[in-house]
Amino acid sequence: MRIGVMVCHCGNNIAATVDVEAVAAAAREFPDVVFATDHMYACSDPGQKTLEQTIRDLKLDGVVVASCSPRMHEVTFRRAVERAGLNRYMFEMANIREHVAWISLDRKRNTQKATDLVRMAVEKLRVDRPLTPKSFDVQKRVLIVGGGVAGIQAALDCADGGLDVVLVERKSSIGGVMSKLDKTFPTVDCAVCVLGPKMVDAGQNPRIALHTCSEVEEVSGYVGNFEVRIKKHSTYVDWTKCTGCGACQEKCPSRKVPDAFNENVSLTTAIGIPFPQAIPKRASINAEYCLKLTKGKCGVCEKICPTGAIAYDMQDEFITEKVGAIIAATGIDLFDHKKCGEYGAGRYPDVVTSLAYERMLSASGPTAGHIKRPSDGTEPKTVVFISCVGSRDRSLNRPYCSGFCCMYTAKQAILTRDHIPDSRAYVFYMDIRANGKGYEEFVRRAQEEYGVEYVRGRVAQVYPQDGKLIVCGADTLLGRQVEVAADLVVLAVGAEAAHGAPELAEKLRISYDAYGFFMESHPKLRPVETNTVGVFLAGACQGPKDIPASVSQASAAAGKVLALLSKDKLESDPQIALVNANRCIGCGKCERTCPFGAIRMRELRDGSQRAEVVETVCQGCGICSVTCPVRAIQLQHFTDSQLLAEVNALCRTWDETTE
Amino acid sequence: MAENDRIQRLIAAVKAELPKLDFVLGYGRGFDALHATPITVRTEADADKLIFDATCVENLATSLYAMRGKRIGIVVKGCDSRSVVELMQEKLLDRANLVVFGMPCQGVIDLAKVRVRADIAQARGAEFTETEVRLLLPEGERVLSRQDVLADKCLRCRYPNPLIADHLIGPEVEPKGVEDTYADLEGFEKLNPQERFDFWKRQMSRCIRCYACRNACPLCVCKHVCLADSREPHWLSAEATLQEKWLFQVMHALHLAGRCTECGECQRSCPMGIPILLLKRKMNRELKEVFNYEAGVDPEAVPPLHTFQMEEEKIKDRGLLW
Repeated sequence: MRIGVMVCHCGNNIAATVDVEAVAAAAREFPDVVFATDHMYACSDPGQKTLEQTIRDLKLDGVVVASCSPRMHEVTFRRAVERAGLNRYMFEMANIREHVAWISLDRKRNTQKATDLVRMAVEKLRVDRPLTPKSFDVQKRVLIVGGGVAGIQAALDCADGGLDVVLVERKSSIGGVMSKLDKTFPTVDCAVCVLGPKMVDAGQNPRIALHTCSEVEEVSGYVGNFEVRIKKHSTYVDWTKCTGCGACQEKCPSRKVPDAFNENVSLTTAIGIPFPQAIPKRASINAEYCLKLTKGKCGVCEKICPTGAIAYDMQDEFITEKVGAIIAATGIDLFDHKKCGEYGAGRYPDVVTSLAYERMLSASGPTAGHIKRPSDGTEPKTVVFISCVGSRDRSLNRPYCSGFCCMYTAKQAILTRDHIPDSRAYVFYMDIRANGKGYEEFVRRAQEEYGVEYVRGRVAQVYPQDGKLIVCGADTLLGRQVEVAADLVVLAVGAEAAHGAPELAEKLRISYDAYGFFMESHPKLRPVETNTVGVFLAGACQGPKDIPASVSQASAAAGKVLALLSKDKLESDPQIALVNANRCIGCGKCERTCPFGAIRMRELRDGSQRAEVVETVCQGCGICSVTCPVRAIQLQHFTDSQLLAEVNALCRTWDETTE
Repeated sequence: MAENDRIQRLIAAVKAELPKLDFVLGYGRGFDALHATPITVRTEADADKLIFDATCVENLATSLYAMRGKRIGIVVKGCDSRSVVELMQEKLLDRANLVVFGMPCQGVIDLAKVRVRADIAQARGAEFTETEVRLLLPEGERVLSRQDVLADKCLRCRYPNPLIADHLIGPEVEPKGVEDTYADLEGFEKLNPQERFDFWKRQMSRCIRCYACRNACPLCVCKHVCLADSREPHWLSAEATLQEKWLFQVMHALHLAGRCTECGECQRSCPMGIPILLLKRKMNRELKEVFNYEAGVDPEAVPPLHTFQMEEEKIKDRGLLW
């Protein structure tokens, strides 16, 4: 075998702390290495050209590049190797940047470690075998999980690009958090007026199949051929018959149901349509409160429904959709303000969340746009806004900034002054984060034109006194204590990953951070991709985002999906498990441990069992391989022999250095 | 005598089942009164040779996997029955083709313990009572306390009665304890990692790589393709170095993690007296702590390492960033 080694300087990234020339010189002594050199930037055009030329000139069988993480440039070099006529798996990468140069300044030992890593790569390459990917057909459909503004935008863009879209939403209507908003910053235009037409488009587009009251139950398959099992929760109303007339809602006798769409500020009925602009505009029954479903007697809606759509015996339904790509757009939920006992949240009715306040401001909300204290229905004259509730607070395990609270608080303060001209609005803040287009000007307007009083400091506690809420806090700019007797306190609650986001991530096999936000593939260069090929991110499920950012990310994700599914065929990764039937004893342990159901047992003619890998389903995780007691099942390109070659190379160099 | 009566009942049960079976695995008298030997019972005459007493140390379940496909009867003690259960859990046995004769057991003797107390090379006979072992030696009768010569595993036995049996040849026996206290691990667990490693280096230096431990193990089912003999992948070389010996034992222990039923056959069969069961006991203790699981107890249970779960209750791999 003829192996070539290229050691990269990465400018000064590696060369500053690793003697790359010494590493190349040492590599020349390794078995089967016929050529070793160093290069300023192996990944650059001249670097790749040199690589290709050397492969051709010296008739190399395989190449080791010692440079950065394979996550960075493995694909780059595999392509270069392939252009020079080699199999792309006859290439190994030694990571001497992240694993060596960047973690220590000790040049001597760095050089030693880099040499060890190159030696390991060479030894593995010596037992590497060419692998050939297979190509397979692609489903030109996309699943979008979450029907908020990001999901809707992504759905519309994908449908525009000619893809069939399956849009799954947990609630009974699409629209997400944005549909609950009264106005949007910094333009103070009506949220539902801009979102409504998009919702209607999504509902009417023949390419978009809308599944509301639905959740993703199970995802199997792989890029190009995902199979998704969707659970459609029973609505107890046949939506093919329901016209959305609302007669049932008017007559329903169960009228003490907390109205979730209105943030439980008001009560609603057990059957109904969540809000006037709902898409699809169809009624559903809240089984927890429906008298017929809980007590067995009532049936008023069934009598009143002009189309006979009520179906009390409706069951949950499962459907399976085949898609080529998936966009996660599950958005956010809000921080549970009740965790902040010092603000009296949950104890005093006049301490409300910002979203509940938003519903009060909305003309279609529970108070028809009139701001009223929940306790007595009077109009508040002094409103205090407390920012960063559940944001930037390590004690609550919420160290991150939710990003948009400063802005909506300014908006709500402005609207308060608009709605009640003789009112006073106070905002307790830590810092004002207004770094979007027109954002800073907007906050200025709140302060200067609308006379909102901004107090820089935290609130220590809120307690009731004589029908008022006393807000005690510090003004850190003036260095003194402040007390405001408020009629209403609005908590600017921060964003949390949507409930159930980690569970969805597990189903999609994408990573998520400690707070449940989904991880992008690269924070700068691959912001809408995930580490699972074919799964993309849109909107606040990746981290708190305001509407413009969510919408642009949604369009970006749609663009990525369109590019991916513009191909008719995709290549499968050959780095999957393979069974050596001669060694297999048919114990079936691999079948039981496989997380993907990619192994099945087949019977030989003598009646004995052997394991078999379903190539298209295998994800190459390797669990079967470590479970197999006889190592009959091996992960291609990471076989025992290949890994042992690396381990032995490392141990050998250790023996040499320690002796 | 009660014991004789039990054996007669065993023989009768075996004879009744024989027509439906290819053969029955049981114990017969070995070359002297202190040794039993496994026998295959094919005829009624064979069945009359069956014995059962404190010398029946072998775990006959060791032969089961190699004989699958046949219709077999097997005589098991309580501890042996766990191996049968574990094989069933791993779907390596077809219960429908198996008839189990369960023998509640008062504990078997450890010949090594007898040997240090008496020269038994020429023992002419032996008798076992509930508290005593009476040896008939050339120089006369010698009486040992049964407790002193019981195998270690029997002193802490929690399953003296077979966990599965088609024929339970009673009476049942009171277990020695309900919970395993792992008192035998105390001394070892007090050692620091370096001391532990030194201990094993010392012990393993005696290993002759005969693989008796592997061959005696009822759950080492891949003997004919064992990784220790494999050239591709080439995990172990044939060199008789400490490293290779140790790697084999570690491999054996890891392959038995969550599977070992602690029958002790590995250690009993070791000609060099290496305390191999210690490794497996330690591993089982960890398994018990992490998964609250014990191998070979419930035929329906799924061994924790033979399944996949995204999140394990007691394994935290997703901590906070700070």
